[in-house]
Amino acid sequence: MSEWMKKGPLEWQDYIYKEVRVTASEKNEYKGWVLTTDPVSANIVLVNFLEDGSMSVTGIMGHAVQTVETMNEGDHRVREKLMHLFTSGDCKAYSSEDLEERKNSLKKWLEKNHIPITEQGDAPRTLCVAGVLTIDPPYGPENCSSSNEIILSRVQDLIEGHLTASQ
Amino acid sequence: MQAPVTFPVPVLRLPRGPDGLSRGFAPDGRRECSIAQESLESQKQRARAALRDRYLRGLLAMVSHQVSFTLHEGVRVATHFGATDMDVANFYVSQLQTPIGVQAEALLRCSDIISYTFKP
Repeated sequence: MSEWMKKGPLEWQDYIYKEVRVTASEKNEYKGWVLTTDPVSANIVLVNFLEDGSMSVTGIMGHAVQTVETMNEGDHRVREKLMHLFTSGDCKAYSSEDLEERKNSLKKWLEKNHIPITEQGDAPRTLCVAGVLTIDPPYGPENCSSSNEIILSRVQDLIEGHLTASQ
Repeated sequence: MQAPVTFPVPVLRLPRGPDGLSRGFAPDGRRECSIAQESLESQKQRARAALRDRYLRGLLAMVSHQVSFTLHEGVRVATHFGATDMDVANFYVSQLQTPIGVQAEALLRCSDIISYTFKP
């Protein structure tokens, strides 16, 4: 087992967001920003930012890693980009005014469709339908939670219709 | 009196731990851990969970994308990524473009792979 594979999770975690140069078997060399290391296989995942603005993601198998050298401690910008990579689908950050507007607009639409709706919790508030379904910010169809499939499906369709109509 | 009816319980299998044997349990159990030891152990567990979470999301992002694998002897193959197994020991791929033709479906062993790359 290589030195890299023998490291502990806290050591691996230390490399996240840093720019490293990795040498692997058969004289392969890789350079990039560390996204993560899989604790099960010790695979390192590096991200490279290309000139055209796109990114490439490279995974180097744990068993093939020979040396890992830190080139750059990284900065806040890189950290931001990597932190949200792969986290949630279309991760659009909404301001609290945007969220309030979306919530009110959706509430009006649902009330128009005779759906009993209330609000609960702290801002940004969760919408509650008939006490059995909740809608969390940012109030999209995927933010609905309910144990009742029929209501869930109906409300999701309504939200979907509302979003396409307002675009 | 009839014996109570037992129902099979689904067993959640965790990936192998770093020692290659255990499946999610600390080797010395919880018998005589000092407070300091416990917090270090739980720190390690949290780190392991965070690292794994990010890795799994990365794998999920690869699904159905064109991925290029670097194998031994400088061989590079392009393919559509399907899935890996829990221990990331095998990569299930489709439309594998090999030097001797296209393989509709294939399983690449992790020991044969040096690296893989794709554009999200």
